Amino acid sequence: MIPLKYYLILSAAFFSIGIIGVLTRRNAIIIFMCIELMLNAVNLTLVSFSSFFGDSSGQIFVFFVMAVAAAEAAVGLAIIIALFRNKLTINVDEVNIFKW
Amino acid sequence: MENNSIQNILESLNYFTPELALMLTFFVLLLVDLFFRKSKYLLPAISLVGFIVSGYLLVYTPDVKGFLFSTGMTNIGLYVIDPFSFFFKILILLAMIYTILFSLSSKEINEAGGNRGEYYVLLSSFALGMFLLTSTIDLLLMYLSFELVSLSSYILAGFTRNVKRSAEASLKYIIFGAVASGAMLYGISILYGLTGTTNLYLINFYLSNQNIESLPLVIAGLLIIGGIGFKISMAPFHFWTPDVYEGAPITITAVLSVASKAAGFALLIRSLKIMFIDYTATNLQSSAWAILSQFKWNELIAGLAVLTMTLGNLAALWQSNLKRMLAYSSIAHAGYMLTGFVILDNQGIMAILIYFFIYLFMNLGAFFVVMLIADKLGSEEMEDYTGLGYKAPFLGVSLTIFLISLTGIPPTAGFVAKLYLFGALIKAKWIWLAVIGVLNSVISLYYYLKVVKNMFLRESEIEYSHNLGHGNLLITLSLLIPTLLFGIYFKPIIEFAEQSVRIFGF
Amino acid sequence: MSGIPYLTLVTFLPILGMIIVLLIKSEKIQLIRITAAIVTFLQIVIAALMWSKFNFSAAGINDQSSFQFVEKVRWIEIKNLADWIGTVKIDYFLGVDGLSMPMVLLTALISFLGVLASWNISKGIKGYFALYLLLDTGMMGSFVALDFFLFYVFWELMLLPMYFLIGIWGGPRKEYAAIKFFIYTLFGSVFMLLVMLGLYFSTYEILPDGSKVYTFNMLQMMNPVNYSKEGLLSPFNPNNLRFIAYIFLFIGFAIKVPMFPFHTWLPDAHVEAPTPISVILAGILLKLGTYGMMRISFPIFPEITNQLAYWIAVFGMINIVYGALCAMAQKDFKSLIAYSSISHMGYVLLGMASLTTQGMMGALFQMFNHGTITAMLFMIVGVIYDRAHTRGVNDFGGLALQMPVYTGITTVAFFASLGLPGLSGFISEAFVFLGAFSNETIRILAIISTLGILLTAAYMLWTMQRIYFGKLNPRWENLPDVNKLELAALSPLAVVVILFGIYPSPMLNLMNTSVNKLVEIVVNGQVTFSNLSALIK
Repeated sequence: MIPLKYYLILSAAFFSIGIIGVLTRRNAIIIFMCIELMLNAVNLTLVSFSSFFGDSSGQIFVFFVMAVAAAEAAVGLAIIIALFRNKLTINVDEVNIFKW
Repeated sequence: MENNSIQNILESLNYFTPELALMLTFFVLLLVDLFFRKSKYLLPAISLVGFIVSGYLLVYTPDVKGFLFSTGMTNIGLYVIDPFSFFFKILILLAMIYTILFSLSSKEINEAGGNRGEYYVLLSSFALGMFLLTSTIDLLLMYLSFELVSLSSYILAGFTRNVKRSAEASLKYIIFGAVASGAMLYGISILYGLTGTTNLYLINFYLSNQNIESLPLVIAGLLIIGGIGFKISMAPFHFWTPDVYEGAPITITAVLSVASKAAGFALLIRSLKIMFIDYTATNLQSSAWAILSQFKWNELIAGLAVLTMTLGNLAALWQSNLKRMLAYSSIAHAGYMLTGFVILDNQGIMAILIYFFIYLFMNLGAFFVVMLIADKLGSEEMEDYTGLGYKAPFLGVSLTIFLISLTGIPPTAGFVAKLYLFGALIKAKWIWLAVIGVLNSVISLYYYLKVVKNMFLRESEIEYSHNLGHGNLLITLSLLIPTLLFGIYFKPIIEFAEQSVRIFGF
Repeated sequence: MSGIPYLTLVTFLPILGMIIVLLIKSEKIQLIRITAAIVTFLQIVIAALMWSKFNFSAAGINDQSSFQFVEKVRWIEIKNLADWIGTVKIDYFLGVDGLSMPMVLLTALISFLGVLASWNISKGIKGYFALYLLLDTGMMGSFVALDFFLFYVFWELMLLPMYFLIGIWGGPRKEYAAIKFFIYTLFGSVFMLLVMLGLYFSTYEILPDGSKVYTFNMLQMMNPVNYSKEGLLSPFNPNNLRFIAYIFLFIGFAIKVPMFPFHTWLPDAHVEAPTPISVILAGILLKLGTYGMMRISFPIFPEITNQLAYWIAVFGMINIVYGALCAMAQKDFKSLIAYSSISHMGYVLLGMASLTTQGMMGALFQMFNHGTITAMLFMIVGVIYDRAHTRGVNDFGGLALQMPVYTGITTVAFFASLGLPGLSGFISEAFVFLGAFSNETIRILAIISTLGILLTAAYMLWTMQRIYFGKLNPRWENLPDVNKLELAALSPLAVVVILFGIYPSPMLNLMNTSVNKLVEIVVNGQVTFSNLSALIK
């Protein structure tokens, strides 16, 4: 059996990749994909803990997270489309009306 | 066993009526929006009725019962009803009712096109989310209600879609928000891994009875505080605030700055207090952070509070847009309130409650006046306010009073708020923090007075006349009078806050 | 406490006046002015009535029973709903003793004359008088409040009206001057707030029903017995927080005085403010700083006052000499007077720091005299500025023949200011120096400070010469002499200055008992507050 530790390291790695992606990428769609990656890293953690404890609440949690992630993506895409209509770009560097 | 839990859920519903009323409002609004799109007053009227009914139910709910929705295996459920949540729910409802009233006279909202229905629908789901946030004691429900609040507010912030800055604000908001909630979720998952439960009380039980490795706990704590810190615009998670506040319609800015911040604070206080308190200690003050004692949490929070208020105030100094200035000022106020959170004893929490209650009136008042003027003037730039105090004396004087109250100068209510906050700090011997706090309020005077200066100390030739309707006059007065009255006679709010400080289980 | 609530009347009459003014239509200028004049005149009547009923042998300071016209009503009382905070209690507590009575008289007098001096304000008259009257309440309230919280509210109440009065009706750099004034004073008062809270959480008052509650009552704070053992600012506490608190509080008051190096707001504020506001500022507001020290800092922190008296005297000396030197260098008549104010407030500091009865008495009397003399000087500047629209000292010359009455009054004010015997300024300065010389530790500072008298005489006479003597500048050939209104505002002050110069005893008797008591408290306080460990047993 694969020890719990491995799952956790993997999910931590996913989470970090997601964070780095959010910070470095400039395309709004890719940023959203990175956010999804973060959420899925969390899901992995939850599932692995859940099976480790033999407790179902972690897995239930995952279902909810998936649903919320879908909603978040839907709202996010809608906002990106609204922005695209206004500015004809989804590059976050060009989204810069606001300064300090 | 099974029967028991179903019975418990049914029984719990009796105490859940305020939230049910909000849900009902949400569905009714959705349906009505489908069929009666044209009507201007129907939707806001329904929302108002919904909020008022919810408030009525809130006040007249049967006596505090405690845990709701227990699963049967343990007696500890998902949800609690206590004076603490009651206080925040009242606060949120007041803010929501004011928002609806503001929206009625807001040009931005009324000219936003045919989708005004969504606006009111989302406001009610926003309110529901905040209600849940103030009462939840389970990490799962906490995450869900957190997301409900966030998703509603993302859309509301970008509600005036055709305005460029609104869409941009919305995008920034959702990116920051999604990352913050992702981080918080990761913290939650670690906490779950450490304790094997998602219930806050059980987490406390495990944490205090088992030997837990401190590093993962510290990381989890940091991630959760960071996630909630985003909601209350705590530095360094505040970057979204000025952009979103400036870009969103003013009504939404107002509600974000008061209600969603209040819900965030309620969650922060409740979750950390329940999770990390040491029940066995007799001295409340030292027990507050007992379980996390490997790490100097209160000093970390104190540092963040200082950072938040100082950054907010310093950045506000340079702003020329009034809305943006108020955004930075609201960051600074979050910093003041965080100082109360540093001392997690009852005195500190009470100071936060008092601060919030007063902040509701003065901040909403300032935003409302700014909205009225912006609708007429078509601008939120301070430059354009030149000489306005003489053209619209009532609005000018009202705004001055709200701003003075935000600075915290007697005899306005803002002074009482600061008095209790700094009093709590002094009593708990956090003197350096109190000194920084008061120095910050001196800084804040400068930018608040910049508005007053433009309005009264300078004169201009521009034509401006404001015919305030009776409705707007009444709304302004209903915010102005408490701001002045509570400055002179503050007994009622203190007593209300004092009663509300009790978190369930303490 | 029976009978007429004199202090409430004298304090809140202006607020009533403000409401009346706000109700009058803004076109009825004359009515507004007359209302303000009547209200402030009534204030004088009430103050005079109080003076006539005043018991000269009651000391006050730290003893409620010997305060006079006391009004004490529970303002806010929050019963202990939860055991961890206890009852919160704030009193509406007013009273006067020999320390505050002269200040009440001064405030009433100057406020009324200020209204007369405001007669030719032409812009936004309604707003002007409304704010003026609000300011009046703030000042009067600060002098009569005996509850720290109440005092603080009144103290801050003054800021906003003052900001507007300077900012709207001021000169060309009014915006800068107004915000500078506001920020400086707020900076001082937030520190005062912290000290107030610290004291609050350290002192107990025992209520009639036997329960112990924290208290804002200043008189209770003066009694070491009331301090809790573990209180933050308790003398029992072996930390140096009391020392730091004293410094904080002192800075709060010193900014108002204004004491070097916190004085820079004063010349700006004075130069930009309209004449009547300069009069109020110099005549009353500055006194609040030194009054606060006497009323609050000294009796609540006697042991630290003793410790730091030398340094207060040092700053007093710097104020005297530095203010005089700066005044000498000024080319603007008004800023010259402003710097002379700084110099004269230095005498007050020096007198207080001597911790002797003569010195303290001199300080208090100097506060009163400076109030009247400087008010006169600013009005004199106002008179000439109204006519010539310039304040350059060197622009004038030979006005003595052109405006004889004006020059006569100016002479009285100038000579009083430089301390000529026979005028009131002499007596208070003499007392200050008597006190300072009798205290050996600060004797050397007193000697240096006498230089200030010399300098004052020099710049005053030099100014006199440049403006009033010499050849008449042909530009000013048509300047009319003072009119009746100006005379009405100036002559009462001249009478007061001459009267108290010849016959000071009414005022000195008024102060005597209280000042003695204050000195006694401060001097003995060193013993009582330092040997507290014996007391707790």
